[in-house]
Amino acid sequence: MIKNYIKLALKLMLRKKYYTALTLVGISFTIMIITVFASFVDQIIGANTPERNRSRMLLLDKVSIYRNGKSTDATPSVHFLQHLPKLESAETVSILKRNEFVSFLNGKTAGHVLQQTDENLWNIADFKFVEGKSYTTDDVKSGARVAVINEKTKEHFFNNEDAEGKSITIYGQAFKVIGVLKSAAAFSKLYGDVYVPYTTDMNLHTTEKAIEGTYSAIILSKSEDARKVRTELRSQMRKIGRNANGADSLKLYPFSSIEQFAKSSSSNDDEPEYGKTTIILLIVMVLFMLIPAISLINLNLSRIGERAEEIGVRKSFGATSGALVKQFIIENVIITLIGGLIGLGMSIYASKLLIQVINSFDPLFKMPTDTFIVSWPVFAFCLFSCLIFGLVSGAYPAWKMSRMNVIYALKGGNSL
Amino acid sequence: MIQLSNIEKVYRTKAIETIALDKINLTINKGEFVAIMGPSGCGKSSLLNIMGLLDAPTTGVLTIDGQSVTNFRNKKLANFRNQKLGFIFQSYHLINDLSVVDNVELPLLYRSGVTSFERRKLAVEALEKVGLSARTKHYPNQLSGGQRQRVAIARAIVGNPEIILADEPTGNLDSAMGEEVMKIMLDLNKQEGTTIVMVTHDEFMAKKTQRIIRFFDGQQVN
Repeated sequence: MIKNYIKLALKLMLRKKYYTALTLVGISFTIMIITVFASFVDQIIGANTPERNRSRMLLLDKVSIYRNGKSTDATPSVHFLQHLPKLESAETVSILKRNEFVSFLNGKTAGHVLQQTDENLWNIADFKFVEGKSYTTDDVKSGARVAVINEKTKEHFFNNEDAEGKSITIYGQAFKVIGVLKSAAAFSKLYGDVYVPYTTDMNLHTTEKAIEGTYSAIILSKSEDARKVRTELRSQMRKIGRNANGADSLKLYPFSSIEQFAKSSSSNDDEPEYGKTTIILLIVMVLFMLIPAISLINLNLSRIGERAEEIGVRKSFGATSGALVKQFIIENVIITLIGGLIGLGMSIYASKLLIQVINSFDPLFKMPTDTFIVSWPVFAFCLFSCLIFGLVSGAYPAWKMSRMNVIYALKGGNSL
Repeated sequence: MIQLSNIEKVYRTKAIETIALDKINLTINKGEFVAIMGPSGCGKSSLLNIMGLLDAPTTGVLTIDGQSVTNFRNKKLANFRNQKLGFIFQSYHLINDLSVVDNVELPLLYRSGVTSFERRKLAVEALEKVGLSARTKHYPNQLSGGQRQRVAIARAIVGNPEIILADEPTGNLDSAMGEEVMKIMLDLNKQEGTTIVMVTHDEFMAKKTQRIIRFFDGQQVN
C-alpha cells in the first residue's frame, strides 16, 4: 500500500506543478537556512577537525585579578600560563596566541592568521599534514624560526608547489616552512594560516612577570567533565593566593567551546547555563520550521476541496480514516524529503556564499570557503528536521481530510 | 440480502426539517437486480447512501446479509463496505491521477492480506470482464464516458462484492453506451449472482431489471 501512496504522491507532484514548485521552494529554503545555521553552530561547538577532542578542550583566555578589593579581567600572560600548576585533571596544556600579519607578494596583498604556539598544540589538535611535520619541543625551546602553514597559505606563497624547506617572511623575519596542513575550519579557535613556535614572538619578554598578557591556553581535560578542570584550577589559584605577583587572589575561566557558547547567553560568568542556550537554540530552530510549516498547513488545507472527490471514493471503497491520514502524511513527508534534499544541496552553496559575503567585508583576511562544510551529524539532523516538518505540516490537514463527510466529499464539497 | 425496517432519514437545520425517507420497509433478495425510480428529491439517493453505509438513518434498522449494521462503528463500517459492497456512480468518480488499473485496484488496497501481485491480477481480470483489458495503463481523462463507466464497474466488482449499488450509472451516457453498461450489469447479475440496486431516471433501463421500486416524497409508492 505504501508503494501505491508513494507512486500517487510522485504523480500528484508532477501533475500539480504550481503547488509542487511552491511547496518545494518553501521547504528547501527552510531546510537550507536550518542547515546553514546548524552547520554554523556545529563549526563552533562540534567535534570537527582539528578540534576532534572539542568536548575535552578548554580555552583559558580570561583571568580575574583581585587587588585591594578591586578586580580586573585580563588575558593571561605567557609567563603566567607557563607557570600554571600541574593539573591532575588535565592531560596536557598548550600555550598559544592568535595574531595577524600581512604579506606582499608579486603585487598581491594578503592577510594571514598567525598562531604562535608551543609544541603541545600538535598533540591536542587533530591536524592533517599534507607535507612535512610539526615543530618539536626543541624547536620551541630554542625559538627556531620554523613554520607550519596551511594549504591556502601554500597556494599564496608558493603557487601550490612544494613548500617544505622554503621560507616565508613574518614581521620581517624569515621562517623555514617545515610542514603544510589541510586548512582547518575557519571558525575554529585553532584556525591559523601559519603556526610558529611562540618563543619566536618578539614581544615575549617585555611582559615577562605580569599576570596580564596576550596569550591563551588550551587545556585538554582527561574526562568529558570540564568542571573537574575548572574546580581544580580554581582551587590551585586559591592556594597560590598572595604569591601571585601582588594579586590578592585570581580566578580563571577555562571553558570548552560548548560552554563558551552557552555562556554567551548567560549572565553567570562562573558556570555556563546550558539550559538557557539550548532553549534559545530550540526556539530559533522551531521558529525557523514553524512559520513555513504553518504556510504549508494552510496550503494543504486549501487543497482539501481539490481532493474531496478522491477522499469520497476512497472512503466509499473501504478506506478508514487512519488509512487516509497515513496516505496524506506519507505524501507530505515525501514532498518534504525531496524539498529537504534540495535544501541540503542548496545549503552547501549557501554556506560558501556566506563565507564569500563575510570575506567581502574583510578582503585581506579571507576565510577558506571549502572548510565550511555540512557534516554528517548536521546532515542527519536536517534530514530528521525534514521528517518532523513533513509530519507537522501534514498531520493536521490529513486528519481534517480524513474526517470529511463521504457524501459531501463525493459531491466535491468540503463539508467536514 | 438487504432489509430496511422503518428507515427514516430526516435532515435538520436550525430553520427547517426535511424528511427525506419516511418509514421505509423494504427487502431486497440475494441475487436480485432492482431499480429504484422516482422524481428528483424523492429520496432515492438518500436510500442508496443508507444502503451503502455512506450515511446513517435517523431511525430504523438496516440489515445486510443477516447483520444489523445500524450501530457499526466507523472502522467496522469501512471494512464492511470494502468486503460486501461495490459502488457505481453517475459521474464515475475515478481518480484522474491514477491509471485505469490503479483505479480498479483501489478497493483491494484496503483489504488486508492481498499482495500487490494479486491486486494487479484481479484488477486486470475485472477489466477483462468489462472489455477494457487493453486500457490498463491509460488515464481516465484519455477514455470516453462509456469507457470510464466500465472502469468504474470494474472497480466495483474487483473485490467480488455481494452487492453493487449503482447511482444512475447510465445517466451521463448516450443510449448506446448506456446499453453497453447495462448489459455488463445484467451479465454480472445473471452470471455471478451479484445483487444490484440501481437508482435510475430511465424507465427503459429500469424495465430491464427484475423489479422496480418507486419513490415519491420519501415514501415507497408501488
